[in-house]
Amino acid sequence: MTIRVSKLWFGYALAMAWFYVLLWPLLGIKADGLEFGASFAIWSKVAVASAILLGLYQLKKVGAFGFVERPAKVVGKAAGAVAARVPTWVALALVAAVAVAFPFFTERYAHDVAISVLVYIILGLGLNVVVGLAGLLDLGYIAFFGVGAYTYALLSVHFGLSFWLCLPIAGGFAAIAGCIIGYPTLRMRGDYLAIVTLGFGEIVRIVINNWMSLTNGPNGILGIKAPGIYWWNGKGFEHMLLNSLEQLYYIILALAVFTIVAVYRLNHSRIGRAFEAVREDQTAAELMGVDTLRIKLLAYALGAVFGGLAGTFFAARMKFVSPESFTFIESAMVLSMVVLGGMGSIPGVILGAVTLIALPEVFRGFELYRMFVFGGVMAGMMIFRPKGLWPAKRMGARSEERE
Amino acid sequence: MKRALYLLSVLLLASFVVAGCGKKDEKAADAAKAGIKIGSLGPLTGQYAADGNDIKNGVLAAIEVMNPEMGALGPVTLQAEDDACDPRQAVAAANKLINEKATAVIGAYCSSATIPASEPLIAAKIFMITPASTNEKVTERGMPYMFRTCGRDDDQSKAAVKFMTDQLKAKNVYIVDDKTTYSQGLADNVEKLAGGAGLKVLGHEHVNQGDKDYSAVLTKVKAAKPDVFYVSLQNSASAAPMLIQIARMGIKTHILAQDAVYHPQLMELAKKDAEGVFLTFGYTDKETPSYKKFAAAYKKYGEPGAYSAYSYDSTVAYLKAVKAAGSTDPEKVKAELMKLEFDGASKHIKYKENGDSGSNYVIQVVKDGKFTNYWNPETGELFK
Amino acid sequence: MEFFLQQLVNGITLGGVYALVALGYTMVYGIIQLINFAHGEIYAAGGYMGVILISWLFAQGFPPFVCLGAALVLAMGYCALLAMAVEKLAYQPLRQSSRLSVLLSALGMSIFLQNGLMLTQGVYDRAYPTEMVQGGFELGTVMISYMQCIIVGVTALLLVALNVLVYKTRIGKAMRATAQDKTMSALVGINSSRIISLTFAIGAGLAAAAGIMVGLYYGSVRYDMGFVPGIKAFSAAVLGGIGNITGAMLGGLLIGMIEVFAAGYISSEYKDVFAFIILIAVLYFMPTGIMGENVDDTRV
Repeated sequence: MTIRVSKLWFGYALAMAWFYVLLWPLLGIKADGLEFGASFAIWSKVAVASAILLGLYQLKKVGAFGFVERPAKVVGKAAGAVAARVPTWVALALVAAVAVAFPFFTERYAHDVAISVLVYIILGLGLNVVVGLAGLLDLGYIAFFGVGAYTYALLSVHFGLSFWLCLPIAGGFAAIAGCIIGYPTLRMRGDYLAIVTLGFGEIVRIVINNWMSLTNGPNGILGIKAPGIYWWNGKGFEHMLLNSLEQLYYIILALAVFTIVAVYRLNHSRIGRAFEAVREDQTAAELMGVDTLRIKLLAYALGAVFGGLAGTFFAARMKFVSPESFTFIESAMVLSMVVLGGMGSIPGVILGAVTLIALPEVFRGFELYRMFVFGGVMAGMMIFRPKGLWPAKRMGARSEERE
Repeated sequence: MKRALYLLSVLLLASFVVAGCGKKDEKAADAAKAGIKIGSLGPLTGQYAADGNDIKNGVLAAIEVMNPEMGALGPVTLQAEDDACDPRQAVAAANKLINEKATAVIGAYCSSATIPASEPLIAAKIFMITPASTNEKVTERGMPYMFRTCGRDDDQSKAAVKFMTDQLKAKNVYIVDDKTTYSQGLADNVEKLAGGAGLKVLGHEHVNQGDKDYSAVLTKVKAAKPDVFYVSLQNSASAAPMLIQIARMGIKTHILAQDAVYHPQLMELAKKDAEGVFLTFGYTDKETPSYKKFAAAYKKYGEPGAYSAYSYDSTVAYLKAVKAAGSTDPEKVKAELMKLEFDGASKHIKYKENGDSGSNYVIQVVKDGKFTNYWNPETGELFK
Repeated sequence: MEFFLQQLVNGITLGGVYALVALGYTMVYGIIQLINFAHGEIYAAGGYMGVILISWLFAQGFPPFVCLGAALVLAMGYCALLAMAVEKLAYQPLRQSSRLSVLLSALGMSIFLQNGLMLTQGVYDRAYPTEMVQGGFELGTVMISYMQCIIVGVTALLLVALNVLVYKTRIGKAMRATAQDKTMSALVGINSSRIISLTFAIGAGLAAAAGIMVGLYYGSVRYDMGFVPGIKAFSAAVLGGIGNITGAMLGGLLIGMIEVFAAGYISSEYKDVFAFIILIAVLYFMPTGIMGENVDDTRV
């Protein structure tokens, strides 16, 4: 025991020394001389904080917190037992009620964040079909989002088509784009696929940025209409545009619910099982009569449809689209949601989207430290929960886990 | 699954409670200190962080100067938000500022962030005064509370073409832009006007935003041997490597850039390679009392950048209007703002009906590591 | 012809830089099958260390070339330490997890390091003392700057050194063995964890050298400079056949050339599109890259 303890603290000392060696040159070497104060101030704070954490960890290991942990465990178990007895629909109804009531309790800014979260939930679930179910790593997913957004933007501005009509059209265009991107990648596997999808994503963005006559290039497209509905105003039906954030919130909530139901049904369908078969073992799946090429294309197309739907809404909500919204980092963000939440798991992806969109907003108070903390938390979460926050329950290991 | 669902609903409920509490705190805080809250919007991180911070610092300097004058209306506080020049983040930040009850927003930098952010702001009757977005569309959408303190791209390109034909006596020009709403808009305007003015456009190339290697394009420029090389880039950080590579390639021609390139950083990065570069920039008389006042207040933030003075003036204009109106009521402030006329740090400020404040572009040159006024398109004469 | 030659010189310079960065991707991929997203940030950190050290050494009154050489060596060492810390902290605990988890951890580290650089070094561009290496010479009508010569020279030197290290030394042999089969190499007494650390360190050192030379070439560095070259270098590594050292060098040069020639002859705004289209086409017909992956013992 003592040996292990001293080894741990030796490691700690080494890590802190290492950290200082990395930190000091960044802060301490200046053209007019060497300086130790600033770097030492930061270093000592980090050293003390991590020493306390390490101490707590050791105490926990020894069992010093038993007096808290044991009752907590009992309470947790009891709560679990209660939860298990209440039917699922009650829980679902609770979530639904909270989601519907959300705008009444909160302010504008919260609506805005909630809308972003819901858009990313749709994107995450769409990507989940490709990555989580079919096991194809896609680093250019945001391209479909862009295709959807630009489809609605152009149709709305030039032809005045309504949002509702454009939803299926944009979905269709995105599906076609998905097939175009999917086709040449079918022969590739693993990380080659990743780089090719990344390349396609960048190509779509660069083309949008440069095709002046169609997309107006970097200037983007202005004057996109919000979704409209016919509303009974006492005398007759009247067309009105849903401009306010609450109204938009309900539209995207409806779209998100549609996506959740669709992906859930897909998960449990024949096609969904075929996706999983391809993911687990392509050769075996082929032997069992799965047309792997078609299934992969289908995965791309289906995933893309949801991206297109989310994109249509995004354009309607911003009333403005420009290529800057469709960069690689956005693709990486959506992928992070899927992996962080737990691949293949619907509630996991939802939780991932909530975490990754809400966190930077929560951290807004940190100002410049915002993304710094965010990056650290992201890496930290992966280290402590490598399977994601809410892993999907599955039989057996996935192919990439075994590798 | 079930337990997790409960967890989720509990989490959501908890977020309500937090949101509710936040609301209460805010109200309490509001009651404690009324005052005026000004928001600033700009890229505090990312590629254009330098310009975003200039805007923020300009507002801070103005608040410092105006605070003693505001009397019972004060104190004036700033809430600086980061939009990273990304439309989505700009809209989120705008909504946050609406939430926080800002009454005016100074910003944003990129036209592509200003335009979408203005929609919710104006709908909430919050003034948006941009010190930096020069794209025409910013003020041409009939937005009642949208104002602009800097000039417009169409006027800037006129001054540029006039300079090339009248002063440099150029016969042809080579144009490069880096494909942003601003830089490309300007370059396209110059290309259009050049045809009418008898300037031959030898080529119009685009580089990608954030590129640092311009060797391929510059090799073309070198081969074309233009009289003037018109460089339209989004900021000084991308212009500096361009100038370094121009010098390294041995391209000897007149170089004309635009206002976004104006930043002390340019000389710091490009050093002597920046020498002799012309640029179009709003005329600023650094000898006026109001400029000196600005410079004194700005001193602690370092050298003023391209938009520091505009941002300072935007804030001062708004606060002056509030003071005259005696409240932050949008209608009254707007009426006062339209009446307002004063000598700002950057120029004489008088807002027009559409929110523009007019342009006064002149040609500056980098001389001995400093931006110096060079040629006035109004009179067609050199500055002394 | 003159135009072609000039673009060729530009392409080789750019390609050399991509090759140096691509090696880091390919070596790490070869040994633990991870796309190390944080590698671009290591390159940026190298660029910053370069300017910090050069300014300090210069202020101490050392002659320019001593400053340059010392800064190069010290920054390479610094980045090696940094990359090893990142590996220990963010990748080693995930060795048994799904590869996507490590990928995400790498992405998190990339954001973390990039913003760490921003917080310590500021959001503004930092100027390099470009006056240290000025001028150039004309070969016929082709302009070659001394800076380009230095880049090509240092790159070539480092590539040779790397080849010697990997193919002629015991450490190199251990690296190749670990890349092929971790379990077997552990059985014959190779400390695989140490070898992985070493691989990260070497890749980082090369990236740091690239960062310094890019800083000197373009005159400035910024905290987010690693992102775009990172993606390009990763493409280069894949183009050459990921995990293959010679492939990464070749891929880097090719991507640099394609970019410069596409910009020169076709359109500079679509140059990245051409780079990616060629990448996709190559992978379509040669699914494991030009040199192929893991064909013999060249995989590290």
